[in-house]
Amino acid sequence: MKILIADDSRVMRQIVVRTLRQAGFGDHDLVEAADGKAALDMTNAEKPDLVISDWNMPELTGIEVLRQLRASGNDVKFGFVTSECTPEMQQQAEASGAAFFIVKPFTAERFDEVFASILG
Amino acid sequence: MSVEVEVNENDLAEMVEQVWMSYLDPEGISPLIPNYDENQPSEVHSSVSITGSWHGHVVYASSTVAARRAAAAFLAMGEDEVSDEDLSDVLGELANIVGGNVKAMLPPGAFLSLPQVMLAPQSATKYPSAERISGVYGTWEDEPVSVSMWQSRQDKKEEGK
Repeated sequence: MKILIADDSRVMRQIVVRTLRQAGFGDHDLVEAADGKAALDMTNAEKPDLVISDWNMPELTGIEVLRQLRASGNDVKFGFVTSECTPEMQQQAEASGAAFFIVKPFTAERFDEVFASILG
Repeated sequence: MSVEVEVNENDLAEMVEQVWMSYLDPEGISPLIPNYDENQPSEVHSSVSITGSWHGHVVYASSTVAARRAAAAFLAMGEDEVSDEDLSDVLGELANIVGGNVKAMLPPGAFLSLPQVMLAPQSATKYPSAERISGVYGTWEDEPVSVSMWQSRQDKKEEGK
């Protein structure tokens, strides 16, 4: 499976990659995007099976990326990893078709819990 | 609109503990030990600003040694391999994580800025229109680390109305 990790923080992309490995999902093909526009373009071009996205990013926010994907008929599995987690954000994510919402800081156990059913 | 902020020192301490548990001390062997010394020195710091339903800043500060150790833990590398860019990025991420968690506890309508990083003591940055409302101060393997919250005086004035 191909997984796209979208986060404007290089450190956080690295931590997401490492945590995926720790949780046993390191064998998947991992690609990275450094802002929302790149995330949208790469999702269309690279056709990942899963997008793990930050919420607050330059160019386009994560929720804007998700909405644009859905509006164009792309139903890729998409979820958020973010340090900001308000009930409004969770509602918006859910309403837009997000598959998960992970709050930073996160552990490998949390990744396993969320991704076991998605990545098998 | 202004509201009384309900993020106290215990909440901050809990957020800090989660950061240590997740990234800086997953084995649970070197926690941040509180010393309640709000005047302890720092050599580097990072901050995020919050606007909207609450106005102020969340500041992470530490010694350079503690920042280097944090960067090594975050990036899974040796402390001697940490570059200044690694150090800055990790400091920014630390402020962002704690700031994001603080924002989640504020009333709806709060906005978080991108982090600012200064490779200089916290005392080098002045918040002339804000005052410290809470903070967690301690040492991590004998090195100073702190997380503090600063609220706009205008906000505080409106609370008193």
